[in-house]
Amino acid sequence: MDVSFSGLYTSAKYLLQSKNYGKKYNLSDIAFTLQETAFAMLTEVTERALAHTEKKEVLLTGGVAANKRLQQMIEYISREHKARYEVVPLRYAGDNGVMIAWTGILQYNSAGSDKLIDTIIQPKERMDNIKIPWRT
Amino acid sequence: MSSETDIYKEQLIHKGAEASLFSGKWFGKSVIFKYRIPKKYRLEELDKKIRKERTMNEAKALVKVKAYGINVPQVYEINVNDSTIIMKFIAGEKLKTCLKNLDETKKRSYFKKIGKTVAILHKNGHIHGDITTSNLIITNNEEIFLIDFGLHYYSDNIEDKSVDLHLFKRVLISSHGEDYQLCFKMFLEGYRSGYEEESINNCESIIKNIQAIESRGRYVKPEERE
Repeated sequence: MDVSFSGLYTSAKYLLQSKNYGKKYNLSDIAFTLQETAFAMLTEVTERALAHTEKKEVLLTGGVAANKRLQQMIEYISREHKARYEVVPLRYAGDNGVMIAWTGILQYNSAGSDKLIDTIIQPKERMDNIKIPWRT
Repeated sequence: MSSETDIYKEQLIHKGAEASLFSGKWFGKSVIFKYRIPKKYRLEELDKKIRKERTMNEAKALVKVKAYGINVPQVYEINVNDSTIIMKFIAGEKLKTCLKNLDETKKRSYFKKIGKTVAILHKNGHIHGDITTSNLIITNNEEIFLIDFGLHYYSDNIEDKSVDLHLFKRVLISSHGEDYQLCFKMFLEGYRSGYEEESINNCESIIKNIQAIESRGRYVKPEERE
């Protein structure tokens, strides 16, 4: 059920730098395409998960849950699989800043700070491999 | 002279998440039509492109893999605009349903063969993506066919290969519990035998990495976590 979005942004960037930009397509075309592609990926894995587990409920959460197009797509496949569809209220789907900050506080309180040099981005890091020091 | 009626579908035999399978005839030969279903949640242009690409990828993979001597269905025709692959119908029984009735000698030899087959795929950078006992067919003359390359992709990552093996292990544990020990042992033996001496280290790293995958949160019950 893993999805990888690496390549998607790069591809969008190339489109912006291309000589066809502003002629064959404009900024909103790129944004639209990017969104449709990324959401189709998310919806596809959700559908696979639904078909495989035969779960009867889907809950859409997180910042992107505010997006009406994603809501529409997830609602569609939920209905196809006769699962109940719910989405978090808009006020909980906006900015994730508080969640990120709170995680930072928990991390700092239990494991202290990190040196800036150690805070590199690991694109292939897996959620289920991340150590949670305030839980162990 | 051939006419259009030489190619026809007979009946729907399986409906998967991504595709429908129909039995039928192709110039007198028994075939399977694998038709990728349009997905309405996707933008039509994107949907067409995705189905077209995946149809091509799957057909190409089948053709390439067959060249290594692996038993996979022969591709007869590819219709990209209709996202359909017409391939040979493999008559036989799914390993999933016949496994429990096999005697030990056969279990040993089948799983060794399957292991070797997967090793050949992996050595050549092919990840099947869905090795299950439902995707292995035992024919009447006891040949083993690997089917459904719908999730196939190319990779030389240890992780990707381990995941392929891990999935098969999970399937054996959950669907064939009492046969798991013997079958997976023979499978790994066959897998190792598919590697040459100079690449055996790579093979061992792949097998060893299965444990790392298993130790990850999602596969371990909370009470069993360290």
